[in-house]
Amino acid sequence: MSLFDQFLVLAAVICTFSGCASVSMDRAVETETASAISQSEYSDSVGEDGGTIYFEYDKYNLSNAAMSDIRSLAGIIKSSGANVRIEGHCDERGTREYNLALGEKRANEVAEMLQVNGVSSSKISTVSYGEERPVANGSNETSWSKNRRAVIKIL
Amino acid sequence: MVYKIFSIVLLSFCNYLFSDLRIEITEGIEDPIRIAIVPISWNLKEPPKKYLHQIISSDLESFGEFESLSPKEMLSLPKTEEEIFYRDWKILDVDYLVLGSAYEGDNSDDVIVNFSIFNVTRKRLVKRGISVGSSIYLSSLGHAISDRIYTEIKGLPGIFSTKISYISKEDSLTGRFSLRVADIDGQNDSVIFSSNQPLMSPSWSSSGKNLAYVSFEEGTSRIFIQNIYNANRRGLKLQKGINSSPNWSPSDKYLAAVLSKEGNPDIYSYNLEKDSWRQLTDHFGIDTEPDWSPNGKKIIFTSNRSGTPQIYEMNVSSKKIRRRTFEGTYNARARYLPDGKSIVFVHRRKGIFHIAIQNLRSGKLRILSDTKLDESPTISPNGKVIIYATKEGDKDILAGLSIDGKTKFILPTGLGEVREPSWSPLLISTNK
Repeated sequence: MSLFDQFLVLAAVICTFSGCASVSMDRAVETETASAISQSEYSDSVGEDGGTIYFEYDKYNLSNAAMSDIRSLAGIIKSSGANVRIEGHCDERGTREYNLALGEKRANEVAEMLQVNGVSSSKISTVSYGEERPVANGSNETSWSKNRRAVIKIL
Repeated sequence: MVYKIFSIVLLSFCNYLFSDLRIEITEGIEDPIRIAIVPISWNLKEPPKKYLHQIISSDLESFGEFESLSPKEMLSLPKTEEEIFYRDWKILDVDYLVLGSAYEGDNSDDVIVNFSIFNVTRKRLVKRGISVGSSIYLSSLGHAISDRIYTEIKGLPGIFSTKISYISKEDSLTGRFSLRVADIDGQNDSVIFSSNQPLMSPSWSSSGKNLAYVSFEEGTSRIFIQNIYNANRRGLKLQKGINSSPNWSPSDKYLAAVLSKEGNPDIYSYNLEKDSWRQLTDHFGIDTEPDWSPNGKKIIFTSNRSGTPQIYEMNVSSKKIRRRTFEGTYNARARYLPDGKSIVFVHRRKGIFHIAIQNLRSGKLRILSDTKLDESPTISPNGKVIIYATKEGDKDILAGLSIDGKTKFILPTGLGEVREPSWSPLLISTNK
């Protein structure tokens, strides 16, 4: 408080001598940032690769080929009684959060098709990674078509 | 003298060495304001660790609005108003002149700077000010003085004490995701959180103390709130499906966010005190990317309810929704300007994603960026500058432009892929 008072006095002195009415004082912001650490982290090595379904740009409907792939996969899953995790992905075009929503639509579409083919919904979980986890690098159609996908993982 | 020259060289080298992000202007404005910052006379026992006039000059030049004279070009180095010979500065085409002197404060670490701004054309003093800082954080003190000079000359808040948060990744396919915070000049860059799983959507609280963001560390998207100064961190209760796009209300009482627990992504408002969710949109399409208006009464968001992604605006209390964009088939992730009258967003034209601005009343859309695959625009708290994410070759980089479109710049970095910039609010000193 005494320090602040001194500034006021100092400011007043300067004003008096300079005839200036508008001296103002501030203090610079000076704080250091700190970093947090996660307790436990999910590992990508969880589960086995059960296949990948590809999509058209900005679409989430399944092609005929995709539907037949999912049908045969559904048979395997039912007989093994395994749980599945479906990961939806997008290419890099468009905004990240919109793509996160689009990736979920893709994962849900695959989940629904598994259910249609007799897999219990309690065995299925879905997650969208949007455009955050590409498998191919490069801003061209070859890479984009590889990244627009839903990955089925057998847990 | 030899010591002084040596330390100038050393300081410039250090700035280069430690700077992760830095601003590099690629297209300047035609007629910048010419300013001369005379080296601040230093009346402390310990020599300065950095030179304040260099920090201030470099701040003011950051976004192309000012051009500053180097001391070498100056014909005289006045210490007081009486020593100013205006003709010296007029010859050099200088518009404004700044003099200052630094003294030791009560605590030996305190530095008190008295500074004066003079209008050369009108041959008069326009402002005297005192800024106080610490000799350990001379950059912060320099930025604070820069802010006040900017405010005095441009009539708008200066943004040199602000920070930027962003996401970095060593490589697009592998490597860790890091959430970072740096001063707006790229200094003091630090990792706030890092993970092998994706990190997304950093959003500053209005207080400037907390960041909300999305982390996939548990194998699914979850919203976290973290204090950037003490690292206190908490996850919001996980909801089924997507948990994304956190965005603080101006009061910091609510977070707008996106949940898909009802089967499809909708906009919700989370009450931080009551730990409760209120659903704001309910549509079978995708609703996402909310942003609060500066007065907290409205939210703009992206929805594909018309068949393509477009920007909609909602009145938060009545939930009444109005479509705002009509040009083109892809308009997304809008952010309000601080005056609430215009929005900046991602607009696709001829297959190319640009940053565009639109006045809400006139509906007139203007493309601002000439780069490709542009996204995640964030606006400086004084509404003058936009930083956004784009591509340089196959690499994610950050770029920026002035809202009038005259200045363009990039933010080069040695960190690999950088994305999702988020500009802090004006950071007001809370100590003392």
